[in-house]
Amino acid sequence: MIKFWNKRVKLGVITEKPELEESLKKIRKEIKESVKKKFAGSLAIRMVDSGSCNACEAECNALSNPYFDLERLGIYFVASPRHADVMLLSGVMTFNMTPHVKEAYAQIPAPKWIISIGDCPMMQAPFEKNYAINAPVTEHLEVTHHIAGCPPNPVEIMEGILEFLRKI
Amino acid sequence: MRFIARFCKEKCDCFEIVSIYEEHIEKEEISKESPRIKTLAKKEPSAIWFERKMQDDFGIIIEDAFDKRPLVHQERFPKEIHPLRKEFQESSLQEAPYLQYKYEEIDGDGVFQVAVGPIHAGIIEPGHFQFSQAGEEMLHLEVRHFYKNRGIEKMLEGKTLQDAKPIIERISGNESIAYQICYRDIYLQATKQKLPLALQKRHALLLELERVIHHLTDIGFIPNDAGFGAALSFASKLSEDARRKMNELTGHRFGFGAVSFENSFIDTVSFHEWLDELEKSVEFFEDWIIDIPSLWDRFDTTGILPLKKAVKYASVGVVARASGVATDRRINPFYLEHGFVMASEVSGDVAGRFKVRLQELKNSILMMRNFLEEDDTKLEVTDICDGEYQSFCESSIGELFMAIDIKDGVIERFFVRDPSFMNWQAVHIMMRNDIIADFPLINKSCDLSYAGNDL
Ligand code: SF4
Repeated sequence: MIKFWNKRVKLGVITEKPELEESLKKIRKEIKESVKKKFAGSLAIRMVDSGSCNACEAECNALSNPYFDLERLGIYFVASPRHADVMLLSGVMTFNMTPHVKEAYAQIPAPKWIISIGDCPMMQAPFEKNYAINAPVTEHLEVTHHIAGCPPNPVEIMEGILEFLRKI
Repeated sequence: MRFIARFCKEKCDCFEIVSIYEEHIEKEEISKESPRIKTLAKKEPSAIWFERKMQDDFGIIIEDAFDKRPLVHQERFPKEIHPLRKEFQESSLQEAPYLQYKYEEIDGDGVFQVAVGPIHAGIIEPGHFQFSQAGEEMLHLEVRHFYKNRGIEKMLEGKTLQDAKPIIERISGNESIAYQICYRDIYLQATKQKLPLALQKRHALLLELERVIHHLTDIGFIPNDAGFGAALSFASKLSEDARRKMNELTGHRFGFGAVSFENSFIDTVSFHEWLDELEKSVEFFEDWIIDIPSLWDRFDTTGILPLKKAVKYASVGVVARASGVATDRRINPFYLEHGFVMASEVSGDVAGRFKVRLQELKNSILMMRNFLEEDDTKLEVTDICDGEYQSFCESSIGELFMAIDIKDGVIERFFVRDPSFMNWQAVHIMMRNDIIADFPLINKSCDLSYAGNDL
């Protein structure tokens, strides 16, 4: 363990490229304030994948890496929809997942919101509508905010969450 | 004679069942009026998912199968619909009345069932796991997937190869480059062209970079699932750096669209510097993690897939190599000349899979150095010829197999077998001596894809 702490002290806090860091700083500040005001300091997100390629999930996982560290701002990915304020929905809404997605949404206590992420849920990714896909998601659930991209990168997701916070 | 895949094609007047083995291919034609075959699953247990899939997709009857439950079609899927038949052209389905799926369950005094999924507690893909438990001990696990089935095989039919590409590279985001390389090889076969060495090296570089990203993510997440979060912080920083390198090289963080016949500029100097730094970080990581006994307490002897079972279930990739099976699509002159050494462990447990990942990481870094060069070779593509084509690639999970039939210039049948499709079928073997709390760790140590499996 000693080796690790040595490295830890030497490495310090890792930061972004300066220009990115500046804009991130602004986003972070605004998100933090907004989460504080509107969600009493903690915004709980339940991520649901309704048929993605897994890249959108990977980018959401990246939000927890030391560069972005979303939890600092009071945003948590929670294990159960019953703990959530927001459902973050990715993927093309497959026939097989539709009932489960609706069920998960029903389990979230009101007030609740849906943010869709990636081009898939809106059927703007290259996948085409067919028998196995029930998309776009807006035909089944009410989406408050959409974060476009295939996949949106972590900064875009943070910006998207900020826009959502401004909307409500 | 390793079993690789089994799938169905619809011809004008019959169904053709193709079985792919490592060394040969078997084809069987059956009539459309009475589409019946005998099961292979008695000899090759992992043939069962292929056969159940055929039964759903084409309505093929597997006469002597011991398991005839639907695989892809779930509780509310309309009965008697076989979407991969050419006559099926609906673009949406009505939900049918709910029909209970009968899970494989073990009964007995005090034995109870635990149902997990399809939506899981973390940021992961959906799939269902049904455990039969005696207290904490797992007696049996049934893996049930295909929640993410997007009908990709049907979606691609009738498209030209060019139009199919954006979809193929998005089948499984973590393996995008591998899917693109399989596609590339089929494209080259169909245009009867040879790939210039410079392009081959460039694509191989991207494939290794993808593997590095995937393994770096895993060497963080596996210890994290054993309660050691510091490893995740450390490794997720490295994987973010690697992902940014991918973005720098290809203009996309996952390399979508990256395997092309153009050769764009690479800043080799800074890439070499990054590789040197990464190598040092990985060495530090290994040195550090090897020294944490409580972690290895969790890794060692957990989730064992014995060599015999790995062979029996025709496992591939990291999972197979950790159990002592020598299988890797990179065992060929091109890779060997560029420094490829196959990773191998014999313990078959979580520790084995973790160590294989570490070995592969280091080997991939070495190979990337050898693949790296500045070059501006291009390849002009010519016309596509009709035919039946197949290709293989070693993705970060394992051996990927793709088959495309082209007729009248468009795709007649698209089939792909993700490595995960084989390995998921062996996962239940790993549970036999462990408690349910070990399941997330074991599952993560295999890190299989759901999207590639479900299609
Ligand atoms: S939007 Fe793009 S990256 Fe996200 S799941 Fe869909 S295909 Fe994958």
